[in-house]
Amino acid sequence: MLSLSVNGQSYPVDVPDDMPLLWVLRDVIGLTGTKFGCGMAQCGACTVHLDGQAVRSCVLPVEAIGNRAITTIEAVGNTPSGQKIQQAWLEVDVVQCGYCQSGQIMAAAALLARTPQPTDQDIDAAMAGNLCRCATYVRIRAAIKQAATGKAEILQTIGSTPEGAVS
Amino acid sequence: MKRFLLTIVVLLLVGTGVYLYLNRSDSSDGTAPAMAGAPPAADVIARGEYLAKAADCAACHTVPGSDQVFAGGVPFRLPFGTIYSSNITADAATGIGGWSDDDFVRALHDGIGKHGEHLYPAFPYNSYTLLSRSDVLAIKAYLFSLPKVSEPNRPNELSFPYNQRWAIGFWNAAFFKSQRFQPDATQSAQWNSGKYLATALGHCAECHTPRNFAFALDHRQEFAGEVLQGWRAYNITADPAHGIGSWSDSDIASYLSTGHADGHGSAAGPMAEAVENSLRFLQPVDTSALVAYLRSVPARAGLDPIAVDTKPAPALASSDYAPAGDAQANAQGLKLFEGACASCHQWNGKGQQTPYASLLGARGVNDVRGNNVTQILLHGSGQRSEGASVFMPDFGNAYSNTEIAALSNYVIGHFGNKQGMVTPDDVAERRKQL
Repeated sequence: MLSLSVNGQSYPVDVPDDMPLLWVLRDVIGLTGTKFGCGMAQCGACTVHLDGQAVRSCVLPVEAIGNRAITTIEAVGNTPSGQKIQQAWLEVDVVQCGYCQSGQIMAAAALLARTPQPTDQDIDAAMAGNLCRCATYVRIRAAIKQAATGKAEILQTIGSTPEGAVS
Repeated sequence: MKRFLLTIVVLLLVGTGVYLYLNRSDSSDGTAPAMAGAPPAADVIARGEYLAKAADCAACHTVPGSDQVFAGGVPFRLPFGTIYSSNITADAATGIGGWSDDDFVRALHDGIGKHGEHLYPAFPYNSYTLLSRSDVLAIKAYLFSLPKVSEPNRPNELSFPYNQRWAIGFWNAAFFKSQRFQPDATQSAQWNSGKYLATALGHCAECHTPRNFAFALDHRQEFAGEVLQGWRAYNITADPAHGIGSWSDSDIASYLSTGHADGHGSAAGPMAEAVENSLRFLQPVDTSALVAYLRSVPARAGLDPIAVDTKPAPALASSDYAPAGDAQANAQGLKLFEGACASCHQWNGKGQQTPYASLLGARGVNDVRGNNVTQILLHGSGQRSEGASVFMPDFGNAYSNTEIAALSNYVIGHFGNKQGMVTPDDVAERRKQL
């Protein structure tokens, strides 16, 4: 029997040692906000925090966690950076279909916690492992910057230049 | 004419004599040094189980992941064709249920099967010949205590002349000597038991010792490293730069028993299997003996020696989360690492999810030919053991040969601080070897 600390609460779980954390979170504990995407650490949909670091829960055997604190999308809003990121996400209206977004928010919140004023390069390096099939990347970048600065980001909008004109 | 015929007859007789002399069997029983995990007083089946694990029979005779334990069928893709391992369960029709004690001993000591046929040296009788008869029979008792599995052996796929078993008689005459383990009285009991573990049982040399033109072990280069089935078995001599001379005793013991040593990376491929199936079951006293023996193996640089950079500038300049210090030349590799690798391995190679994901000091990332790096990228890596089950997904289906080559070279540059030489053609070649 393992004991996991998830979102500040302790959960005793009776699962095989090599079960990935994602399965435990969703199927055993019932926290379904974290999503299954690829199952091989390639899309970022399953990202959670382990002591504040973004990790891919789909390839993390539960026995490797030890007593490190797990934070999921359900509780990231209780952290200062998570709170800022979620607020900016709403204001910029980042979400399209939404499936990847819990992972995106977890990755962005971890970034902001360690790098309060990220450059474009910082954002690229931190977010490259989180894929979005709706291609909300431009809004994700804007929302991260807005969360960092607290100032509204002006998004590039579709121009009204007539077709064929050189802008 | 008469004289000519006589000469022929004499030559044939002399040749046969030499052949028989070189193929003579050592019929002595031999004695094994003391081992903590297999005390002579223990139950024979329990001893056999420990010895069978130490000899890693499962690595070749059980298909990975299969519940048909010791039923054979594992393919060995060699330069001249494919050999399949055989069923060594006690099933009479398809396994070795009909083998007598002497049959079994002859197979391990002399490489000859029940029907007098030569066994291929892929079966490490070159090493098992050193086992004592009592140890061989304990292994047999253990195998015969397990469930029988009815599974016919798969025929080998070898081209002429390699499919001619009789020819192995000549190979044996040239390269094989039937002999039991000879303890060295000038060395400690611990060293002797370590040597027995490394040679007679663990058959480390089968992967780690270079082979000659005839694919026989070149013992003058013992443990200096070799490439087999696309994987590089590293230099494990006492060479401080290219072997494990600079590792501490506890580093080596940790690597052997858990597949990982901090600052030296993690085992993958066949070595991860050896840890999973065999080495992790050794009792600590026996592991220490093995370490003591490995320590004494004379330093040799070996072919294409790998020098590990323990302080690679680019990785040290990077943080957990951001890269630095890379030459701009390999933007494609950097991009791939950023998207697919950094979230587990981190830019400074410390390894985020588990210590097994650390890359600093690993020999793989310091090998400019990138043998094992490409293998791990193509086929993934994993290891199950008590207290740690780790795995890395395979990327062979996700990335092209060009991408895998670029990523390999990036990893070698960033974590080994060397110019990687992996080409897309190399990757194409290694794809074929699973």
